[in-house]
Amino acid sequence: MSESFFRVIRASEIAPGGIVAKEINGHHLIICNNNGEFHALSGRCGHMNAPLEMGTLDGTILTCPLHCAQFDIRSGEVLSGPVPMSFTSEKEASPRRAQHLDKAAELIERIHTEPISTFQVKIEDGWILVAL
Amino acid sequence: MNINTESRKQALRYFYTKIVEPMGYKFSPDNDLVEFILEQEVNLEGKYGIPFCPCQPIRHNREHDMKIVCPCIPFHRKHFDAMQRCWCGLFVHQDVTDPDSLPQLSAKEMGLE
Amino acid sequence: MEKVTMYTLSTCPWCRKTKKFFTDHNVPFEFTDYDLADEGTQSKINDEMDIAGADAFPFVIIGDKIIVGYQPDVYTRLLGLDK
Repeated sequence: MSESFFRVIRASEIAPGGIVAKEINGHHLIICNNNGEFHALSGRCGHMNAPLEMGTLDGTILTCPLHCAQFDIRSGEVLSGPVPMSFTSEKEASPRRAQHLDKAAELIERIHTEPISTFQVKIEDGWILVAL
Repeated sequence: MNINTESRKQALRYFYTKIVEPMGYKFSPDNDLVEFILEQEVNLEGKYGIPFCPCQPIRHNREHDMKIVCPCIPFHRKHFDAMQRCWCGLFVHQDVTDPDSLPQLSAKEMGLE
Repeated sequence: MEKVTMYTLSTCPWCRKTKKFFTDHNVPFEFTDYDLADEGTQSKINDEMDIAGADAFPFVIIGDKIIVGYQPDVYTRLLGLDK
């Protein structure tokens, strides 16, 4: 399968420690700047697809804003799973709601957090190019 | 969940360094000890969601357990400063070169309680 | 020789060193790994540690003396191992 490099954004538009999302060629991508090193990854959390550009980047560790799963921006690997979800207070609303939430919790427990895809990056004339 | 232990240890090293350095501590020069303790912490984090100190009791009481979340130095500052190390020895004062020479004594024994 | 009992954690390297010390010196000892014990045992150990004013491991009892932290020189002295 052949890949082409696509111009995504100017390097100067992402501050160190920053994350920017771009939709290119049908891919929801994020570009992360770790102290001048740029990494391109899928912008969807490997847990429940939350937009990672709304998360936090600390060095090479990206934390998802929805359930706090963590990924390494260099490899896309999972560094930490999502935090457990507790619906305790909501279950007090009604027995029917409690039953529904118990089922939801059971299903959510089974969701596996996948590593996220990474894409090759090169800088040309101040532009960040990503191989897709 | 299959977390790569080595990767998680590296992440912990990264997080901890930023916290302990401003307090005047660093990772112990005894690298074997550091690797062992970090590995225990990754396991504890996998089990409880929190990297607890592997040398202090987890009592499942929030007020107690919050004081043993690594790095627990702020909760035991006087004691650890007197020993020049934290309880499990993961961190030592920045000028320490011989961590084996630092004894492990309770705060009580050091006359701090 | 005095009886040696200890409370330890399976995750603690100093507890391992403590067990190794007594093993290497052929001193029999009883130990309980706090983290692997049931709630009842943990509760008893909590009480004992609270009374002793200690909240860390290793927690070694030699005769009626309590030693908290890895202290091989104290173990040696109390058991007369250097004689």
